[in-house]
Amino acid sequence: MILEIDGLNFRYPDAPKKAVDSFSLQVPESEIVVLAGASGCGKSTLLRAINGLIPHMYAGDYSGDVRVGGSSVKASSMRELAQRVGFLFQNPENQIFMFTVERDIAFGLENLGVPRQEMRRRVDEAIGLLGIGSLAQRAPYELSDGQKQRVALAGVLAMRPKLIILDEPTSLLDPKTALDFVDLVANLRKDVGATFLIVEHRLDLLVKVADRMVVMSSGRKVLDGSPSEVLMGDEADGFGVSIPAVSRVQKLLAKDGLAGVDRLYDAEEVAAIRQRERR
Amino acid sequence: MMWLSGGFIFRSGNSRFHRLDPRVKLLISILTFATALIARYIYEIGLVVAFILVVAAAATVLTRIARTMALTATFSAFIFVVNFLFTRNLESSSLYAFRFVAIVVSTSLFFVTTTPDELERVMKMFRLPRDVVFAFVTAVRFVPVMMLDALQIMDAQKSRGLELDKGNILRRARNMIPILIPLVVNAVVRSGELAEAMESRAYGASERPTSLVEYRAKRVDKVVALAAVVVFLLAAYSFYSLLAPIAL
Ligand SMILES: Nc1ncnc2c1ncn2[C@@H]1O[C@H](COP(=O)(O)OP(=O)(O)OP(=O)(O)O)[C@@H](O)[C@H]1O
Ligand SMILES: [Mg+2]
Repeated sequence: MILEIDGLNFRYPDAPKKAVDSFSLQVPESEIVVLAGASGCGKSTLLRAINGLIPHMYAGDYSGDVRVGGSSVKASSMRELAQRVGFLFQNPENQIFMFTVERDIAFGLENLGVPRQEMRRRVDEAIGLLGIGSLAQRAPYELSDGQKQRVALAGVLAMRPKLIILDEPTSLLDPKTALDFVDLVANLRKDVGATFLIVEHRLDLLVKVADRMVVMSSGRKVLDGSPSEVLMGDEADGFGVSIPAVSRVQKLLAKDGLAGVDRLYDAEEVAAIRQRERR
Repeated sequence: MMWLSGGFIFRSGNSRFHRLDPRVKLLISILTFATALIARYIYEIGLVVAFILVVAAAATVLTRIARTMALTATFSAFIFVVNFLFTRNLESSSLYAFRFVAIVVSTSLFFVTTTPDELERVMKMFRLPRDVVFAFVTAVRFVPVMMLDALQIMDAQKSRGLELDKGNILRRARNMIPILIPLVVNAVVRSGELAEAMESRAYGASERPTSLVEYRAKRVDKVVALAAVVVFLLAAYSFYSLLAPIAL
């Protein structure tokens, strides 16, 4: 297991209730897990607890245990955690620090004191993985939102983390760019074998690549299963999860006795099955 | 604002001068600045300004430097008037006025041809504390972002009926409040997010952070630096011993 969360509780100082409540989750290596839930249910807080910002930067009532790659987050330093867990924040603008893309990608490695040659190699590798070679010398203000997103992710990848957590990575992207980004994540899983935990509202984009879907509500884990189990089940709707339209159609057709609910189809597949049934 | 952005903010260029080691550019800027300070006659200041203009032309930033000069003229005229009122001395008053132009222009030459990236490396090379350098980097990095923020907030508030350019000065100043408050709130939120992102990328993890880009002075840098020092010494010497008596 790359990530093990055992009965985690966290309450921000002076908050009336816990932001994360008795939360447990086990994620095996190389999985892509999607974390969904209504606004304010504690998703970002959970991510902070995974990369160590909680409890190292945020004070509050903390109990339970989070382990990444077998070692406890609470007992590890931010220096170790920065190399183990990569965190892509929601707004890429606020995680690009330097004046050129290349130097920004190197930012974390410079901080760790990685020797120059090794750093060069890793920066070039990250640039290659994300296909942003043409941007290497650009300044941040010369980048589109989608490009900023890639640059920020390259900065995360250069640290070679085993686990990468992403907080609503497509919220600022247009649909096409968002779709490209999801493909990119799928390819990265193949190329570097990292594990991904993605907080996302636009589930329609992710059902194809996700191995697993976890739903949170008021700080608790309420659903955990394959995307089809979660989206075709009857409960997800009630937790503020936006069920993709295709899944809704499929669910209705399934009630009619159409195809099985063993997996999720995309729109074309559902249409094709419907056609076949008609004949 | 126009004055600032014209004369002190880098825009990409690629002349030989741009490619010099930033330390050498800084040296040239400091030396011309110093020369303007020690000059005692207007024609000496004229020489300094002419020198800067020649360098600016070589660096293909002549128009920007010339514009800085033109815009500085207003301040310069003010300096002249104030000085003249107090001293009643035409010569020294105009000397101060011209000197001001020369000083601004020599500083501007450095900032116009030096990328923020180079600026950061110069600061690091002078062994300024990492936090200080990083604070500077972040400030410069987020200037355009915050400007954009401000414009968006202005648009948003205008569309809700806020009239920015109506009324007397007091009224206008009060009208800025609905712009400033969201701007400050934005900045605070942003700095919180920045702090999280810094932590997550191991900021401050190592006592000895490394740098991706190596910085070594090339031969041309050394030659230019030497030449700059020689020219400065010659100028200083001639101002005080040779030309000065002739000019008298
Ligand atoms: N820094 C903080 N200090 C105090 N309370 C906080 C802080 N950050 C979040 N909270 C509170 O904790 C709860 C969970 O917030 P969190 O940001 O984790 O939710 P979220 O699921 O990420 O929401 P969203 O989808 O809107 O991003 C909310 O009630 C929120 O108000
Ligand atoms: Mg959130």
